[in-house]
Amino acid sequence: MAKPTPSQTVGPFFARELLWKDGGTVLFAGRGERITLTGCVFDGVGAPIFDALFETWQADPAGTFPSGDDGARPYGYGRVSTDRDGRYAIETMMPGPFKGPGGETYAPQISVSIFARGLLKALRTRVFLAPLDAIKDDPLARAIGDTTRLRTLIAARDPRDPKIYRWDVRLRGAGEAVFIEL
Amino acid sequence: MAETPVADIHPPYLYPDYNSTRLRAPSQPLVRVAPSPLETAGPAFPKQFVKDSEADLTTWGRSAPLGEKMVLVGRVLDEGGRPVRRSLVEVWQANASGKYPHPVDDHDAPLDPNFLGKGQLLTDDEGRYRLVTVKPGAYPWQNHAFGWRPAHIHFSLFGNAYAQRLITQMFFPGDPLLAIDPIFQSVPEAGRSLLIAVLDLEHGIEGVALGYRWDMVLRGPRATPMGV
Ligand SMILES: [Fe+3]
Repeated sequence: MAKPTPSQTVGPFFARELLWKDGGTVLFAGRGERITLTGCVFDGVGAPIFDALFETWQADPAGTFPSGDDGARPYGYGRVSTDRDGRYAIETMMPGPFKGPGGETYAPQISVSIFARGLLKALRTRVFLAPLDAIKDDPLARAIGDTTRLRTLIAARDPRDPKIYRWDVRLRGAGEAVFIEL
Repeated sequence: MAETPVADIHPPYLYPDYNSTRLRAPSQPLVRVAPSPLETAGPAFPKQFVKDSEADLTTWGRSAPLGEKMVLVGRVLDEGGRPVRRSLVEVWQANASGKYPHPVDDHDAPLDPNFLGKGQLLTDDEGRYRLVTVKPGAYPWQNHAFGWRPAHIHFSLFGNAYAQRLITQMFFPGDPLLAIDPIFQSVPEAGRSLLIAVLDLEHGIEGVALGYRWDMVLRGPRATPMGV
């Protein structure tokens, strides 16, 4: 087995080099319910992280994994940087649930990678677009167990605008999001 | 499937000598989960996404950029030694004087109007890539007194699966600044040589450019044969 190449930080001068035109609008081949996943990324003292690269990868509304492209960009992938307030926004479609190899059901979710100065490795996790009682059988929800920690991965639907799902991410300390090792 | 001791290769999240890690590294252990079938799939980059010219960073301006021209070749492989084919590789780097064309780079060094320091390519069917650029300069940073980053090229790889996504940096052989760079030193000793290119003159261009070679290896998701 060849040894994997070690990870290094993206920071700090990535923005101009890596961002895509309209990278915050995720493309799909078909139609579905348009939603926006948005929120802020905070550090260990609650300060906004204004220089993170935030990437998303998800199933389409039917729970199928996007395999094509529109000629300019791949389907299903989002890429933005956080702004001055630590805010990111991904305009996308509501992903459908999908099955794992053992027949287990993955709840509607978006896989997220966060890269930033001070992160020697990407932080990876999955954000759920369904309430707590609808995700209990999801493999990650089962692996986490503890409800308080699991809640850090649930995006809250905005009561005034049901198209908007809010998910704030704390990298460290109180309310720290669960991060995963694949 | 035998597990590679990844902990011996990758840096930790918290590496206090690199100050920014102190407020950004998670304090809780990561939750280990099998990659979902979504994560063993990955985005498909259309061929048109990348222009051939984007693998040559020296032809962006009206004339040649300043600095030591170089050709970098290598392969992207998975842990089993299989080529990672038609996979997106993005690079960015400082110019020969150690300056990025970035609004928050306040290093008092000249921008080069003929060098943008940004490129991308798709690996070929053998996982190979070839990049033409100039050797980036070292630059000072605020992490600690007299801190200077060794010359490096940033790499972003997508592999063939979302779970293989990697961002890293390539360094140059014999650079004395490696010894004082906490970002490089954060990598456990067993992994450090994997980030350093080797001089490979034959891949250069006679009388024009030095040749270097650097291979990258992407991890497959644990306990799941990738078969890509
Ligand atoms: Fe750099």
